[in-house]
Amino acid sequence: MKIANTGQCLSISEIPELTAVNSADFREEVHSSLQPEFPAVIEIDLSDTRFVDSSGLGALFALYRTIGEDGAVVLRLLNPKPEIQQLLELTQMQELFEIVQR
Amino acid sequence: MAVPAFQPVRPATLRLAFAPDLASARAVALAIRAFLKDQGVPEPELFAYELCLAEAANNAVEYATGPQRSQRPVAEAVITAEEVELRMTDHTAGFVLPEAGARPSPRQDRGRGLFLIRTMMDDVRYFRGAAENVLVMRKRRAPRPAPAAGPAPHGMGSGLRAFPATEPSFRSETFSAIFRRCAEMGHSTELAAGFGDRLLLDLLQLSSADWCVLRVLSADNRQLEVAAVSEPGLVTAPVVLPGKKGTPPGIEAAAALRRAVTRFDLPAGTAAGEPLRAVGPEASGLVCPLCVGETLVGTLAIGCYRGEFPKGKLQEEVIRAFAEFLAIQTVNFRHYQQEVRNRVLARELEIAREIQHLLLPRTLPQLAGFGLAGGWQSAREVGGDFYDAIPLGERSLLLMIADVMGKGVPAALFSTTMRGLLRGLAARSNDPAQLLSGLNRLLHAELSTVDMFITAQIVHLDLDSRQVTAASAGQCPLLFRPRGSRNVTSLPTRGLPLGVLPGTAYRNVSAVLGEPAVLLLHTDGLTDARNPAGRRYGERRLTAWLQANSQDADHHAGDLRDRLASELARYRGDAVMADDQAFLVLSEEECAAPRAAEAEGLQPETAFLLPAVAAPLSA
Repeated sequence: MKIANTGQCLSISEIPELTAVNSADFREEVHSSLQPEFPAVIEIDLSDTRFVDSSGLGALFALYRTIGEDGAVVLRLLNPKPEIQQLLELTQMQELFEIVQR
Repeated sequence: MAVPAFQPVRPATLRLAFAPDLASARAVALAIRAFLKDQGVPEPELFAYELCLAEAANNAVEYATGPQRSQRPVAEAVITAEEVELRMTDHTAGFVLPEAGARPSPRQDRGRGLFLIRTMMDDVRYFRGAAENVLVMRKRRAPRPAPAAGPAPHGMGSGLRAFPATEPSFRSETFSAIFRRCAEMGHSTELAAGFGDRLLLDLLQLSSADWCVLRVLSADNRQLEVAAVSEPGLVTAPVVLPGKKGTPPGIEAAAALRRAVTRFDLPAGTAAGEPLRAVGPEASGLVCPLCVGETLVGTLAIGCYRGEFPKGKLQEEVIRAFAEFLAIQTVNFRHYQQEVRNRVLARELEIAREIQHLLLPRTLPQLAGFGLAGGWQSAREVGGDFYDAIPLGERSLLLMIADVMGKGVPAALFSTTMRGLLRGLAARSNDPAQLLSGLNRLLHAELSTVDMFITAQIVHLDLDSRQVTAASAGQCPLLFRPRGSRNVTSLPTRGLPLGVLPGTAYRNVSAVLGEPAVLLLHTDGLTDARNPAGRRYGERRLTAWLQANSQDADHHAGDLRDRLASELARYRGDAVMADDQAFLVLSEEECAAPRAAEAEGLQPETAFLLPAVAAPLSA
């Protein structure tokens, strides 16, 4: 997993999968990168992500809970594969995130 | 690399036990995915299977607590041309499968896993068992061009209810399906509905039969009732089994009574009113009695609509084996149902006992020069005995002992209510008769709607004047030593139990404590206790015991309590304890030394619970 912080934008990429095994680490790493202040945008690049389970969705949701809920920070999911896109729709999480294919 | 897709003609199975941790759960989901891929499941479909298995495996890990964590969950995938079945066996207390279509809110922390399984699979069931549970997830496979079909086994087809008219199945497949269903049955509580139907359809395939009727012996052993049929038109009225000399009403009853496999051929002539005529006038076949040992469980009739039912040895063996198996399953299922009922009941009683135990005061008030101790033992069938002591000042107190007539949780709840009410009422009055009237007024409506009542005795003690005032609502009279006497006697109090009549008035009876003072309040569990020969302990024996054990002053109430407890245990011997026992004992302790509270560290499993002895206030 790679995390880059420009101050304006926090980009997280190279996530092969987001599951019960690594979702807690994911949460922790992302949260610790939010210091000292929140970026304007958080971009999670799912291009390399092959698999997400409900714990992975839970980690994304936790991020939304922590900083996205008031709308001040843009939460963006990049290039989810069709299966994962479908998962986000099924669980209605596409309402909480901006989903972008680029 | 493209894997050539082919269709398995027999189910392919992978079964993996894994260590109960999330990393192993993940590895298992990947292994099952690889297996399904090898079996020709196309890439886009694999995600759903991987996800559902991952969710199930994570649940099996996360729901495990304590020693369950040392048991390995088992993941299983079974794939046929038509469907994929995933199974997860967990060793947890189990969870509740949400209703299909219950979509969790996107803003919800949990509950997505089971929702996803429900959404992605066609058929999801959770079978809860005693030591393990099985989550079964099935999904039909996307249709694809079928390979050249083999010849259809004859006899299949027309009249089969609920059987998908798809490709022909192979016998070995049917067998394995049966075995899987058997495993399922061990866990199923919905067995009665699906069990017969599905298994019978399997049997029809195996034996090339057209129809079958399964009858099960009714609970009163008097008639054979239809339990499952291959088509709805075959359901007929129960067949009543005749007494010793009667004529069996039909072929099934005759086979059942003779315990013999019976062949029949309707065109060859049958009695009027033959139940099997429901199949059609030209039917033939055989009736197999279902027995476990010598015990009749039911009958299985099977055959074809017309022409002679094939007479192969193998054919008959298969049916016979199947009938034997059905008989055992039927008996097992009945036991299982009974077992479930028993377990629910046992749990309820356990809860009631816990409530009851929590109700008993942890410490009892101790007044200078006197000791007070309580004993309580709960029988298997909780009745609802409890006691309480409320200090009214340094030199007086209220004692109460009660027995809620009823069982389980409701009885325990009434105990709780009554204890609270008494403490409320005692703030306004300390007259036992008035208190009982008040309790009756407040509890009567509720008690009578559930057909319960409470026996109770309330005692007011003034230690300066040594006066005892007691009123009873159907409770055993208290035992004490009156002034001027060396003998223990009972204080004759009478009254209707609480909850019998709305406006009951109660009467106080007073006496003065002799020296050394002793006072015993008890429930009828003590006097009604029986020894192995079935003899009651009785009031006389209890009075004599108290007399003998309270001659000298300076015995601690706690010691008396312990000695009475062992006396009762001695008398009972290995007889079953039929009712709760509760008592409160007050004794004079002239040289009462301060004693440590014994209330801490109670062991509910010890024979007699010792809920309350505290240091005297004087210490």
